[in-house]
Amino acid sequence: MTRSNSQARRSRWLLAAAPLALAMTLAACSEDAPGTGGSGSANPSDEPQTITFTYVQANPDETYYDTLAKDFEAANPGVTVKQNKIALTAADQTIPTQLQAGNGPDVFWINAGSGIQTSVGQLGKAGLLLPLDSSVYAGIPESQMAGYDLDGKTYGVPSSSQVNGSVFNDELAQSVGVNVTATSTINDITAQCPKAVAKGQSVYGLAGSTPQNNGILAVSIAGSAVYGVNPNWNQDRTDGKTTFASTEGWKQTLQAIVDLNGAGCFQKGAAGAGFDALTNGAASGKLYGFFAPSGAAKSIMDGSGGRAKLIVLPAPAPAGVAQKLTLSSNTGLAGNAATKSPSLVQKFLAFSVSAAESKKIADAQGSIPIGEVTASSLLPQYAPVADLVTSGNTIAYGADGWPNPEVYNALGTGITGLLTGQKSIDDVLNDMDAAWG
Amino acid sequence: MSVVTTQTTAAAAQLDRPPRRRRGKATSYRLSFGHWWWALPAVVLVIVTIYVTTAFGAFYAFTDWSGIGKWNWVGLENFQKIFKNPEMLGSLKNTLILAFGFLVLSNVIGLGFALALNRGLKSRYVLRTLVFMPVVIAPIAVSYIWKFVFAYDGPLNQTLALLGLEQYQQDWLAEPTLALAAILIVMVWQSIGFAMVIYLAGLATVPQEIEEAAALDGAGPIRRFFSVVWYQIQPSIAIATTLSLIQGLRVFDQVMALTAGGPAGATQTLATQVYQQTFQFGNFGFGAALALMLSLLILVFTVAQQRLTRDRD
Repeated sequence: MTRSNSQARRSRWLLAAAPLALAMTLAACSEDAPGTGGSGSANPSDEPQTITFTYVQANPDETYYDTLAKDFEAANPGVTVKQNKIALTAADQTIPTQLQAGNGPDVFWINAGSGIQTSVGQLGKAGLLLPLDSSVYAGIPESQMAGYDLDGKTYGVPSSSQVNGSVFNDELAQSVGVNVTATSTINDITAQCPKAVAKGQSVYGLAGSTPQNNGILAVSIAGSAVYGVNPNWNQDRTDGKTTFASTEGWKQTLQAIVDLNGAGCFQKGAAGAGFDALTNGAASGKLYGFFAPSGAAKSIMDGSGGRAKLIVLPAPAPAGVAQKLTLSSNTGLAGNAATKSPSLVQKFLAFSVSAAESKKIADAQGSIPIGEVTASSLLPQYAPVADLVTSGNTIAYGADGWPNPEVYNALGTGITGLLTGQKSIDDVLNDMDAAWG
Repeated sequence: MSVVTTQTTAAAAQLDRPPRRRRGKATSYRLSFGHWWWALPAVVLVIVTIYVTTAFGAFYAFTDWSGIGKWNWVGLENFQKIFKNPEMLGSLKNTLILAFGFLVLSNVIGLGFALALNRGLKSRYVLRTLVFMPVVIAPIAVSYIWKFVFAYDGPLNQTLALLGLEQYQQDWLAEPTLALAAILIVMVWQSIGFAMVIYLAGLATVPQEIEEAAALDGAGPIRRFFSVVWYQIQPSIAIATTLSLIQGLRVFDQVMALTAGGPAGATQTLATQVYQQTFQFGNFGFGAALALMLSLLILVFTVAQQRLTRDRD
């Protein structure tokens, strides 16, 4: 055999092996995720008594999940909970990647709905989540469990509830004669905005360049205008019985934002503003409130050393529409389908929503505890909305039931377009319908 | 004498022979197995870490993979979606506007600074450092500083107010055309120094005597530039324009920091769409298709631009 023949043969082998290796690698990549999991082993004591727990920690002072893990260990001698803290920005890369690779944590932080990768919708569809027994979430109101189920099975539990409305400096507003309450309508507010403008201030701050802040404003108003009128609106949209463009409530919602903008209720330059405009404006007393999850009130009050006094208010409803309070319970915990300790994982999840632990988490976050709520269990900033909360006059955050993040993005960027004049209300609603798919 | 002659002849014969042996040895070295596989580890590393991973990315452009779980082969569907979607076509248009705007402005201004600071001026070394300084700062940091400058209540509008020019105050990053221009300004501002340094290197190769001869022949500064300098700095032009075109086509940091693609998608580029579709929306297949298209676009424009600016001598 000559050397050139030998080289040629090796080359042919290499050429033949390359696509084979590629095909094998691709086949491995496209395989199902390991294990679809069961609801628990026959005898929990047969399982490993050490579980891993990965959660998001926004800052070092945020220790409520650490407290939960330690409380669980204390209540269950012999059990160890190994904690892994990650940044919010890393969650979408870390958790799904580990779960797919088969080395995911036993319990982990998750989002309700399908809005991000680390969500019940996305991970549940891929068979990576542990289905839960109904005993784990017994006693949690249906509105708080929205977005934790998929195809008839429940995969996670919420850790707390937050009001999605406005965080408001009532003392500052009252000082210039602006009076905003939990029952104020859009018209009530637009009528008062010129008073604030005359003082070089604004009733609301809006980070109009960020889809997230625009989205929270719109979906909170839609809590009254759309979901208050038809709580099953998302299901109707999925079934093709309705659309964004044909729903009067959605038109009212976007018209309300246009009206607020037209009356000068948002700060100047709102369309191009980021979150820094909210913090700077609130700190300098140039704006009275902004739209955010209610936990922000505690963060700001703590940050100011108690000098700022803020209250939580619902987003105003359009005139003639009954006021609802939009509650979101969209961050919670779920179990890994491939866990070797399914019973222990379920026990941990049930423990996380027990009355005592839920109250600890809520107090630390400045949010509302999971489960039945009484006025006495609420923090002082919730006083203006206590009646709405305890009377059950609440509605789940509509976007938690949307099928993909594009819809929320179409709403958020569309509102920027409304503020700049690039888009009409119909344009925005049609874009949302297109994004729904 | 005869001995000497014989020795000389033998030496001459030896001198004749070795080249044949050296030729023989050289041939044997070239045929040796040892040489090519010494490079194999590096070649494999490059292939695995660059080309195979790129091929995988390109493969997913033809699937509907969401980043989690199974995927399906969808053929050219993702590419059809790109060309049917007005938002994606808008992103392509913005990418081209920014890339070619950046190419022209950064090179023209960079060359201008290079010519101004080439010779003569005593403070040229200090000035060169000052012009080059923005290049060493991270683009994301520079962009956030400019975002503060362009903010509605930021220094730019405050300065206009101080000068009594309130009527020219704008929400610079919330008006579609102005926002795109603002991004271009930031890109150019940061890269002028880079282009200047390349052109300064080119200008250093231009013989001063030729310029002086042209001047003695009565050529003015503009004539001297276009008739003498321009041809001498062709390699610098080729390098500077190629690099700035590539940099412009893949613009990302400045857009994300200044406008995040807004207002209402008016400043989205292909690179920001890749990020949004892939990591925010979980459309890995579609994002891979956009990334593949962006890579091909960079390749085509770079090759075309290289052919246009190559040194034909």
